[in-house]
Amino acid sequence: MAATSDESPAASVDPKLLEILVCPLTKTRLEYDAAKQELISRAAKLAYPIRDGIPIMLPEEARRID
Amino acid sequence: MRDNPSETHFGFRQVPLEDKQGLVDDVFHRVARRYDLMNDVMSGGLHRAWKDILVNAVNPPRSNHPFHLLDVAGGTGDIALRVIAAGGPGTRATVVDPNGDMLGVGRDRAARLGYEATIAFTEGNAEALPFAEKSFDAYSIAFGIRNVPRIEAALAEAFRVLKIGGRFLCLEFSAVDVPGLDRIYDLYSFNVIPAIGRLVADDAEAYRYLVESIRRFPKPKIFAQMIAAAGFRRVTSQPISGGIVALHSGWRL
Repeated sequence: MAATSDESPAASVDPKLLEILVCPLTKTRLEYDAAKQELISRAAKLAYPIRDGIPIMLPEEARRID
Repeated sequence: MRDNPSETHFGFRQVPLEDKQGLVDDVFHRVARRYDLMNDVMSGGLHRAWKDILVNAVNPPRSNHPFHLLDVAGGTGDIALRVIAAGGPGTRATVVDPNGDMLGVGRDRAARLGYEATIAFTEGNAEALPFAEKSFDAYSIAFGIRNVPRIEAALAEAFRVLKIGGRFLCLEFSAVDVPGLDRIYDLYSFNVIPAIGRLVADDAEAYRYLVESIRRFPKPKIFAQMIAAAGFRRVTSQPISGGIVALHSGWRL
């Protein structure tokens, strides 16, 4: 099922990629927030954004959370 | 020459360590769109042969046996696409690059070729990889490691994310050791490459950085020692095209 041009290119992140992604600072597993398109590191208290299906795993690009 | 531990080299300039990533990012933001074209022009097409040697060394299985490559600093997807094409249906690649512009080029190219399902793109840093330990069968970095501020940190991360039996492969410009060729290569790289950079990408300065960074990169023997120090075994360096480039290899055993 190939993506057609009228589908949003802001595809969700590859599920196989999610299995191996960790926080680059703490190397701990991430929680995937599909609605916000964020990957949450509880250990580092950071939310990494996903833009156009590409996880941005750079702490300087992440949002601080409590 | 490196007396200040908080400084690193940016081409021939000494810069504070924390500034280098930003300066490198700036170079690649400026050249992203024409990066693969520039490689063709500057190397006279030779980079294709060099990359074939790397892909042969990655040696993805032709069968449907699962095989997962991590290609680091490979934003435009060039190496990942070659490995996917060479491998069987079990071959997958994950690309990680600190530069969103380069990744955008790669993502669009993978989509055009119908490889969305086999290549994943991630924005990240070679010194702090966002992947679980022992995730990959092979790690490749082509013409990328000399742009990494802390090479030792990148090698340690390569070792961490490779499975036992996984292979580290690094293709990088090296030290020309053929008499005569070294003089020609100097003339070419310090005069011709920045001129081509000006003509094709309208950015001589960015390409001058690329040339200077090649000269500052550790010599093959030193780099081999660094690879071994990260824990890799059976470390080898294979000079290619008279030493213009070299393929460095090590195994996590």
